[in-house]
Amino acid sequence: MNASLANKRLVIVTGKGGVGKTTVAAALALDFARAGLRTLVCEVNAKERIAPLLGRPAVGPQVTSLEENLWAVNVQPYEAMREYALMIVKFESIYNAVFENRLVRYFLRFIPSLQELVLLGKILFHVKEQRPDKSWRFDRIVIDAPATGHAITFLSVPQVLLNTVPPGALANDARWMRDFLVDETLTAALLVSLPEDMPVNETIELYAALKDRVKIKPQAVVLNSFVGPRFTDEEVASLSRQNAAHDFVAAHRVREHLSSSAFVRLKGLGLPVICLPRVHTPAFDRAALETLAQQLAPLREGTT
Amino acid sequence: MNPIDEAVHRSDVLVCVGSGGVGKTTVAATIALRAAIEGKTSLVCTIDPARRLANALGLDLLGNTEQRITTALLEQTGQPAQGELYAMMLDMKRTWDELIERNAPPDKRDKILNNRFYQALSTALAGSQEYIAIEKLWELRTQRNYPLVVLDTPPTAHALDFLDAPNRILDFLDNEAAKWLLTPALAAGKVGLKLFNLGSSYVAKTISRFTGTETLQELASFMLALSGLNEAFRERAHQTRALLEAQTTSFVLVTGPMAERLDEAIYFHTVLQQHHLQVAAIVVNRVHPLVPARAWEDASQLPAGLRARVVKTLDEAEANAQADRRSIERLKDACPGTPLVLVPRFERDVHDIASLWQTSAHLFEPQGAGLVKQPGQ
Repeated sequence: MNASLANKRLVIVTGKGGVGKTTVAAALALDFARAGLRTLVCEVNAKERIAPLLGRPAVGPQVTSLEENLWAVNVQPYEAMREYALMIVKFESIYNAVFENRLVRYFLRFIPSLQELVLLGKILFHVKEQRPDKSWRFDRIVIDAPATGHAITFLSVPQVLLNTVPPGALANDARWMRDFLVDETLTAALLVSLPEDMPVNETIELYAALKDRVKIKPQAVVLNSFVGPRFTDEEVASLSRQNAAHDFVAAHRVREHLSSSAFVRLKGLGLPVICLPRVHTPAFDRAALETLAQQLAPLREGTT
Repeated sequence: MNPIDEAVHRSDVLVCVGSGGVGKTTVAATIALRAAIEGKTSLVCTIDPARRLANALGLDLLGNTEQRITTALLEQTGQPAQGELYAMMLDMKRTWDELIERNAPPDKRDKILNNRFYQALSTALAGSQEYIAIEKLWELRTQRNYPLVVLDTPPTAHALDFLDAPNRILDFLDNEAAKWLLTPALAAGKVGLKLFNLGSSYVAKTISRFTGTETLQELASFMLALSGLNEAFRERAHQTRALLEAQTTSFVLVTGPMAERLDEAIYFHTVLQQHHLQVAAIVVNRVHPLVPARAWEDASQLPAGLRARVVKTLDEAEANAQADRRSIERLKDACPGTPLVLVPRFERDVHDIASLWQTSAHLFEPQGAGLVKQPGQ
């Protein structure tokens, strides 16, 4: 299989809450940057985590350079709305006169999901940005997307708005966004999962929802906290229950089983599955992230 | 007495809040199950868009109506059930429709139900889920007789919306701008909002460029149709706010020991206190058990080939346990006065009634009994 993430402009990292989406998004962006691709990693979460994970101070709502070839931004609804409006009205003074008007703010707040649209709109705006020599400002954009249910809502917003709003500037933007998201030569979703039954069930449901409802094709699965084989069942059985180490060894064996069965089930989706080993460091730091980045490289190279 | 046990006795509504992936749904289901087994008939309701509760209860599907968990299933706990257990999953669209059907005057009903903005609002759009969850909670509280309703909520950012939902709808209805916009149109009985009467005005023109003129027209017609419901919404918002603040409503904050989950939990705890809501306990889920020193001694007796791998396993387990201990100390310092309940990590997913029951032993363990249990128990 040679689908993976090679040559995709936009990679949407999503999965059940708590599976390590943010960590995977950060590691993937780091891998892209190391490979010489100018990469922007976007968060849409209230609490920014990616720059701190990379050992840098939080960047806030401005696109900020973290290191060579790597930029980050934490997209905030208010700033995104302002930028979006400024693109349309062009002049800050007009923006202030109109959009800072209480009445208008009130009205805009009530247009359903305008917030989500401008968040997504800002991210997709960066896809179109060019440098003076007409090359892309960013070769790759990685989104640390919301968790399952909210990811589907978030990514469906352009389509929902197309069904809702009559023709106009808003509808045109929504259509452009929708078309970009569903174009599988440009956009890929990356699903993150854990070797436990419920997260795997949810990954399989999410795969179907993205593919059939949102029409964004997932290209690969990252199985986080994978525990590889270490003991045999016979070895576990050979340990006396009186041995104080027994339960810890048995627990490890259970995790080995859960990991291999999760791998088999996820493989059933027909996508490449990358297993990231469980990390046992006192604090998850830059070094741990570097290791993960190297393990994700096959996704970029399309060699999974 | 264990703080969760105490909250179950004292409350008729328990709201489980916390960030995603910390086992909130499992905790909610476990509390309801334990209460039911011990004689307090309970309903557990999830508003999480992912179908986790059905999973945890071993049911294929839960609908928008309450479903009784069969006695046969409850017996899998190995305990005689003294009360009944019900479960449901919120269907957002259906609950919205019911709300409109109940409250809208007959001539407006179809106008609202068929409006494109309404259809978007009630199905796919972010934010309305939280409002409708609290609406459902109120309905369950007032129209049914469950001695205990345990409510599961969406992850943190959205759970905050959930707390603010009644205030927000009030803010919306009491907003001067809304009144100013709606009043003349209501009097005239037609869609002729002041905003559009401004005609060629600078403001109206600029907004139209942003949204398209027809968007505003259609939105206006939706607001106009909805305006008849103002009083109903206003009354309900006050009632639900009162429900959340009631003495008989408690919050259980669920978190995991990982550093990033902890920050969210501490933030959430602050917000709940600012809202004057009662936090019965913070549940720290999936805590790695400490490794007793004896385990390394016992490992050293093992054959050489096995020994190194066992020691490595113990070292890893100890590193995880120590990291968790540091997190828990930090949580204690940040949330003084709120009891912590620690639940050890299970090596199996909790996805049937029997394992929910096992979990309950830890959730309801008398305080101070400590957590240091071996894994796999």
